[in-house]
Amino acid sequence: MQNSGIRKPGCLLGAAAFAMLMAGSALAATPKDTLVVVWAFDDTITMDPAESFEISAGEFMGNSYDRLLRYDVNDPSKLLPDLAKSWTVSPDGKTFTFELREGAKFASGNPVTSEDVAFSLQRAVTLDKTPAFILTQFGLTKDNVKDKVKATGPLTVTLETDKSYAPSFVLNCMTANVAAILDKKLVMSKEQNGDLGYAWLKTNYAGSGPLKIREWRANEILAMERNDNYYGEKSKLARVIYRHVKEAATQRLLLEKGDADIARNLTPQDLDALKANKDIKETGTPKGTVYYISLNQKNPNLAKPEVREAMKWLVDYDAIGDTLIKNIGIVHQNFLPVGLLGASTEKPFKLDVDKAKGLLAKAGLPNGFKVTMDVRTVQPVQGIAEAVQQTAKRAGIDIEIIPGDGKQTLTKYRARTHDMYIGQWGADYWDPHTNADTFARNPDNSDDAKSKPLAWRNAWAIPELTKKADAAALERDTEKRKGMYTEMQAEFRQTSPFVLIYQMNEVAAYRANVENLKIGPTSDATYMFKVTKQ
Amino acid sequence: MSAVNAPSPGGWREWLMSDRPQSRRQAALGRAYGGWRTFSRNRLAMLGLAIVIALLLVALFANQLAPYSPYIGDLRTTRLLPPSAAHWFGTDDQGRDILSRIIHGSRITLFVVVLVAILAAPIGLVVGTVAGYSGGLIDAALMRITDIFLAFPRLILALAFVAALGPGIENAVIAIAITSWPPYARIARAETLTIRQADYIAAVQLMGASPWRIVLRHIMPLCVSSVIVRVTLDMAGIILTAAGLGFLGLGAQPPTPEWGAMIANGRLYVLDQWWVAAAPGAAIFLVSLAFNLLGDGLRDALDPKGVK
Repeated sequence: MQNSGIRKPGCLLGAAAFAMLMAGSALAATPKDTLVVVWAFDDTITMDPAESFEISAGEFMGNSYDRLLRYDVNDPSKLLPDLAKSWTVSPDGKTFTFELREGAKFASGNPVTSEDVAFSLQRAVTLDKTPAFILTQFGLTKDNVKDKVKATGPLTVTLETDKSYAPSFVLNCMTANVAAILDKKLVMSKEQNGDLGYAWLKTNYAGSGPLKIREWRANEILAMERNDNYYGEKSKLARVIYRHVKEAATQRLLLEKGDADIARNLTPQDLDALKANKDIKETGTPKGTVYYISLNQKNPNLAKPEVREAMKWLVDYDAIGDTLIKNIGIVHQNFLPVGLLGASTEKPFKLDVDKAKGLLAKAGLPNGFKVTMDVRTVQPVQGIAEAVQQTAKRAGIDIEIIPGDGKQTLTKYRARTHDMYIGQWGADYWDPHTNADTFARNPDNSDDAKSKPLAWRNAWAIPELTKKADAAALERDTEKRKGMYTEMQAEFRQTSPFVLIYQMNEVAAYRANVENLKIGPTSDATYMFKVTKQ
Repeated sequence: MSAVNAPSPGGWREWLMSDRPQSRRQAALGRAYGGWRTFSRNRLAMLGLAIVIALLLVALFANQLAPYSPYIGDLRTTRLLPPSAAHWFGTDDQGRDILSRIIHGSRITLFVVVLVAILAAPIGLVVGTVAGYSGGLIDAALMRITDIFLAFPRLILALAFVAALGPGIENAVIAIAITSWPPYARIARAETLTIRQADYIAAVQLMGASPWRIVLRHIMPLCVSSVIVRVTLDMAGIILTAAGLGFLGLGAQPPTPEWGAMIANGRLYVLDQWWVAAAPGAAIFLVSLAFNLLGDGLRDALDPKGVK
């Protein structure tokens, strides 16, 4: 009876109608109230904010879950209220009190209370998944979190830290996905064996954000719908569909044909080619990821301060910026990416072979030297490495490139057995301490140190700078804190063994009828609920 | 060389084709001439030979032939230029002239091919003849080792070796050599098995020759021709494996103009700047094809039954 269905006239009609629909959709654009995004989101492993730490999942969480505060997308160093309408810091700087918004509701209809907030933060610390360090760095542990994070009134929550950190530091961390607010009633009703709803939340949704997650099928689709219970301005779009499309070329074709509204993983070449198409527009935002070349201080040549400086004069920043990283990066020479509090935009270095030669002569190496560089064989990193190899050769520095995959080069880098390394660093949370912690702090430079930040990986002993970085994390006056970071960056530019090259720029191409699309500085701040379609 | 009876001018052909050679030298030269006549009648084989000779010449005179440096380019002014009179094959993403890189890359290709042949063929030959001649336990042991090597996919095994030894063209050569000797051992063993019962071997044995002498002087020379044919036919595979390793970033180190690595580089630009990948791809295709044609011709020419 395999063909029975097709014999029924109703089914036949239905099939014909379906076929026509399909034919129609191939020509027409996507529906007016639906946004279709093509993106490679195969890194997503969960829908649980306490565990998700991937770039793509960050964006889904940012659109679907509220948190106490968000940062201002237009000026990420400013904070805006979200579920908390106001917040205060105690005079000793250790207790933060959040006043919640009245009348806010979860998508399920349950009211948002201080119980939910306390539960969400406690749950993240208790589950202790990858991103939990963003909260536990303030002295929260599984054992003490119930005392440190408390609902003190129906709409009042307090958070106690172990030291008096810079308030901006603590508050910035509250904008992270791991601090998203969950619907306690709903999550706990799905709890199995005391897992705090962990198994259920992997593929389900319990938030209050402007969009709600309807369905996620790994490596296939993620569908979000408007949340009509949202406290703020409701999304103009009825639904947002993310389609997993891995190949850039396929994304480009789908966008050009109108089957997709936004394409997210186009290559610089695709973006260049699409500039000629008047139906397609592009938008980009600098992200929190910086690319750098580092010089291992265990190498006696690279340890010379003059050599460190000379390397910085041997990169043709402008040419690289205009060619290899065109559309995907912006030349940047500081360890704090633009957008973070206190980030400097100073760019003192440019290609100057004579100056570098002078410095090398001063270091006692007038004829240059030989050195190796570990390079991942992916673009644009490899292209940049080859370009630097060429320019360094002009000053007599002979760089031998050792190609490898990510695991090989990273293993070597982590064991600090490299000479030179080219790689990137992405901000873990939206506060300058995330990068200062790794670039400018090295509390223990011995081989068996407990914490191994980037400064350690390059054997750069910096007791003074470490103290400054620690002080900046505790400075309570935001303006003063900003100044401290500016000062640290100036010193870092001159003395560090890091040649900062560029900051990543994420570009999306979209159909001309899409409006108000803005890529956020972090993945959780690309807000699709603000997008409208003509 | 008293054995060489000075033939009359123009009688060289007759002398070479003589049914009754009067010296070993004459016999060997005669056989070679016969082989050459068979070979030269095969036009495709001649085409293959011409391309291989051209490759040799290009590699030899790379410095004179290449119009630009293969290592220096200008990001600003010469990046990704389409083929033109100034740059016949265009320029790549670092602004380097692709023609110059292909010309210099021919050296690397030849280096890999020759070195693998020098390393792998003797190993295979020795293992195969020794196994075939001695038989018994030694044969079983050597052939099982061969089986083990044959059981791995070649590129995967080469990848593992390169990962262990570290990237670089020398290590790629070693890895390919290690993975390509087993077929030669098999061929040499099969040949040895047919030869070992021959009367002349029994005669040498009676004269008291040591097994090593028999294998080296009396068996191996007879196996060489079939191994040479097989090696020539394999050269295309060797080039492709080397290019594959280069493509995966485990062969040549940048900025070495290795053809496989050049294709890997051009992959990003294949939609809009096709020439970056096309030129090295065509070079690999041409040289592999040439070695295959040459190998085919050699097989016909070196076949003892085929010589007229």
